[in-house]
Amino acid sequence: MMNVLKDWIFTTDHKKIGLLYLIGSIAAFALAGCMALLMRTELSAIGPTITDNPGDYNVWLYFHGAAMILGFQIPALTGFLANYLIPLQIGARDVAFPRVNALSVWLFYMGIVLALMTFVVPNPPDVMWTGYPPYSVLTPGNTALYTFTVLLLGFASILGGVNFLTTITFMRAPGIGWNQLNVFTWCTYGAFILQLIFVPVLGTAVTMITLDKYMGTHFFDPAAGGDVLIYQNLFWFYSHPAVYVIFLPFIGIVFDIVATFARNRIFNYKAAIYGGVGGIVLLAGEVWIHHLYVTGMPDWIRVGQMITTLMISIPVGLLFISLVGTLFKGSIDFRTPMLYGLSVIFLMLIGGLTGIPLAIVSLDLHVSDTYFIIGHFHYVMAVAGTFSIFGGVYYLYPKFTGKMYNEAIAKIGFWLSFIGVNTIFFPMMIVGVTTGMPRRYWDYSQFPDAAPYHTIMGIGAGIIAIGFIVILISWIHGLFKGTPAGDNPWGSRSLEWTTTSPPLAHGNWEAVPTIAEGWGPYEYGTDKA
Amino acid sequence: MSDHAAHAHGAPTTPWPLVISIGILFLIPFAFMAKFVYHQPFAAILCLGLGAPMIIMGIIGWVREAIGGAEFPEMRGLGFGAMGWFILAEALIFLPTFATYWLMRLNADEWPPAGTVDMPALLPIIMTVILVSSSFTIHYAEEALEKGREDVFKKLLMVTMALGLIFLTMSMYEWNHLFHQGFVMSTNIYSSTFFTITGLHASHVIVGLGIFTAMLLPALNGTINHVFVRTGSLYWHFVDIIWFFVVSQMYFW
Repeated sequence: MMNVLKDWIFTTDHKKIGLLYLIGSIAAFALAGCMALLMRTELSAIGPTITDNPGDYNVWLYFHGAAMILGFQIPALTGFLANYLIPLQIGARDVAFPRVNALSVWLFYMGIVLALMTFVVPNPPDVMWTGYPPYSVLTPGNTALYTFTVLLLGFASILGGVNFLTTITFMRAPGIGWNQLNVFTWCTYGAFILQLIFVPVLGTAVTMITLDKYMGTHFFDPAAGGDVLIYQNLFWFYSHPAVYVIFLPFIGIVFDIVATFARNRIFNYKAAIYGGVGGIVLLAGEVWIHHLYVTGMPDWIRVGQMITTLMISIPVGLLFISLVGTLFKGSIDFRTPMLYGLSVIFLMLIGGLTGIPLAIVSLDLHVSDTYFIIGHFHYVMAVAGTFSIFGGVYYLYPKFTGKMYNEAIAKIGFWLSFIGVNTIFFPMMIVGVTTGMPRRYWDYSQFPDAAPYHTIMGIGAGIIAIGFIVILISWIHGLFKGTPAGDNPWGSRSLEWTTTSPPLAHGNWEAVPTIAEGWGPYEYGTDKA
Repeated sequence: MSDHAAHAHGAPTTPWPLVISIGILFLIPFAFMAKFVYHQPFAAILCLGLGAPMIIMGIIGWVREAIGGAEFPEMRGLGFGAMGWFILAEALIFLPTFATYWLMRLNADEWPPAGTVDMPALLPIIMTVILVSSSFTIHYAEEALEKGREDVFKKLLMVTMALGLIFLTMSMYEWNHLFHQGFVMSTNIYSSTFFTITGLHASHVIVGLGIFTAMLLPALNGTINHVFVRTGSLYWHFVDIIWFFVVSQMYFW
């Protein structure tokens, strides 16, 4: 028992570290989901429902946003999936710096510890996940806790980024060229470049809030010559690219899932990689102003950033065409991972198309800070990202357990969640446009027309909760009752499926694998005919 | 870890990353919050007392394991390239502080803002000379090591560390001097950026000195990891280059 514990908490093996990330991030997801349930229950009817204190609502809102983005999505995608998959996909025996990898995962856990302290400290942080001054500086809430949570998770991200960029650049097995990499590996490469550039900016910005609040500096204090808009700019300079840090790995894993279950090559591989991933990496840092259209900017900045924001749809469109083209003439197998993969395409389409009006200044000014925004970003980032993480877990389930989950339970879990998310987020967009219901309100007595929609959203939240419990049951059930899956249950050509399932605890392969001439991760023979 | 690799299929383990993480949790977030949020100076000292030894212990253990080389041959020599990526991230830690400074300064009605004292001009020049010469000494140390002259390497490494320490001491002296004149972090927007940026830079000098210590102690016992030396020296050059931005923007503009 002690040996097993020691093997896990002192491990430097990328597969165990990946699973540690998975456990921590799923726990963060469950807790942040509970916060969402509390908020939806509070909003299910006009007036106070389960709390009389709007401050409680602020704390739930803070924890939901911060934990979902920083504690769940980014660690699950760039921690769990990247850790587990990338060394296997490039034929490496581990990452470049296994100890640094272990340091990353434990810093992530320390960040989770700080986030959990929200529930025990007096005056918990109540600054949403954005921490805008002047509120974050003036609030009695503990803004330092927010700052340090971000700093620890950010430091873990930076170390992870350095580690994986070095791994992918220098540790590909001999014979794997840049054009033979899995799309997931490529997408994660892009995501890690973005993290290295933008995470430090967030770290500095949140540090400056804490300096302002506790050390008396004046960065964001207009009375002394500071400027609150500097914070908003720095924050979104990170946080818009953070959307792509989430988007790129999740679209990458969807590519791998779709190619495997459609038994088809990636359509337009080079356009998707160099145009799609490359385009997003290049444009990611030039669009953040669209979060600040209403703050009072010169028109030339707003119009310029409107153009760059609209340009983002070009690389995203390339990736989208590539995904749909991969389905075309494929022999599609509707297993659970594929259902998640296809649903991500659908959710991303809705989320992406609702993003276009938001990029246009004249339209955005009218729906800014309404429920339309919440509906949009939950579709494109929150739900699509979460569904691809769950799809990735199902896809890799036989890889890391050697067992097969129960398909029926898994499919029930999928459909419940899928119906749930559409029941909650589609009405959000309608209510945002038709009633102008503003976000972040704990009571909406000024917007009585919104009430029936809120009731429907409350029901949707309940359905998601049940769906997630079913998903968890399917994972735990498979662990104990799953049938042996064999080494390559999906018949994938990708390198991670050529090793045993689960792979060797130390080193993945007996020796660095040899790659045959002309090998590719998606060679299903469909191009030859 | 190389001795662990001998056990054919047992995955290697190391306790130090976990120890360092817990140490960081106590040293920075807990100690800061105890002192500045909850005003419990004794608890803060307790957190410092727990965190600092854990980090130092963790780093010593880590260096002992790692200085001998990587687990698999294909992992050797990757530190230098990784430091390049890390420096990209480091540069972007400094950029927002400078951007904030520039924006506030260019939008200010009067500069320097009320409350600013006369900034010294001679001291920063001497500090620049010291830091630049330390960049030269570490470069020559690296060259000596490549020629196989380990004794020269060790001496030049020690000279570099001494120069770094002198730089830090002068920085500390200057801060103290400014504090006594009533120029502290909360004085005005110039003091806010001045102490934040010079403090951020000084913290990087401290990290650099830590890296050199982790190089020097094993070297005195006869173990020198060449990749580690090149990596650490690259970091030091970066800290030096950042100083040019700090000194030109903070003192001479």
